[in-house]
Amino acid sequence: MKLIQRVLLIGLLWFCMAGIPCQLLAQAPQENESLKYSDDVVQLIKEQNSKMSAELRRIQREIAALRADLDKPGLKDVFSGIGYIFGLFGTAAFVASRKKE
Amino acid sequence: MHISDGVLPISVTVGGYIAATALTAWSAHRSNSRDLPKLAVVTAAFFVASLIHIPFGPTSVHLLIPGITGALLGPSAFLSIGLGLLLQSLLFQFGGLTALGANTLMMGIPALICGWFFHKFKGDSMMRQTITGGLVGAGGTAMAAIILAALLFTGGEDFLGVAKIALAAHVPVIFIEGLISAFTIRFLARVKPELLELSFKDPAKDTHA
Repeated sequence: MKLIQRVLLIGLLWFCMAGIPCQLLAQAPQENESLKYSDDVVQLIKEQNSKMSAELRRIQREIAALRADLDKPGLKDVFSGIGYIFGLFGTAAFVASRKKE
Repeated sequence: MHISDGVLPISVTVGGYIAATALTAWSAHRSNSRDLPKLAVVTAAFFVASLIHIPFGPTSVHLLIPGITGALLGPSAFLSIGLGLLLQSLLFQFGGLTALGANTLMMGIPALICGWFFHKFKGDSMMRQTITGGLVGAGGTAMAAIILAALLFTGGEDFLGVAKIALAAHVPVIFIEGLISAFTIRFLARVKPELLELSFKDPAKDTHA
């Protein structure tokens, strides 16, 4: 029994000694790979950021153009102005005609 | 060509309002009530004319027509322009409400001078009326630009520099306006010559509006 126990212990020791460098070996490339991945991710985010800011600038320009368009008088303003003018002169003509009578 | 709010000093703003009100009252006093429909139509035309943009090179200019207004209405032109500018500033945000007096003077005085000039020199032939109309159209805009520079000068601007810029900016408008006025007057002289006569010539009649 004692021999078996010793063999087992030695086996376990060997297993552990073999496992640690194995793990180290396994971890090292993983770190490298994750670094590579994070570089890619940063690149991607940067690209997306520049794309987004370009889009935002375009939208801001569009908003400015829209605001300029809103400042321009529309058809409604034109007709309401003409209506005011005719209405006021019509009232003046009415008053003048009543004065004459 | 509109002066915005806050450009002119208060004294000029108030003075402009007083002078414009006095001239408007005089203009209304001189108007004949029989002319009211014509007044209304010309006022509406003046009101809308500033929206007609004519592409000119990289920019576009818009019509002002103080010349035609003056030629068609004579002394009533000031009333018409005052009302037109009031509605433009209310509805189109052209020029500020506080600068309305100065704006009315700027456009109304050239119109009155144009009206006097046109009826003094128009003669009887259509050719002469066309040429006078063109001169009046160009001269009205030029005078408005000069008055604009004079008003801005009171706000502390360098008079000659601003006058030059205002005149240079309006050179295309002056030409286009002259051409359009000549065509309009010629058309009216052919189609409805009585529109070019002023009906208040006989002061013995009741001329109160």
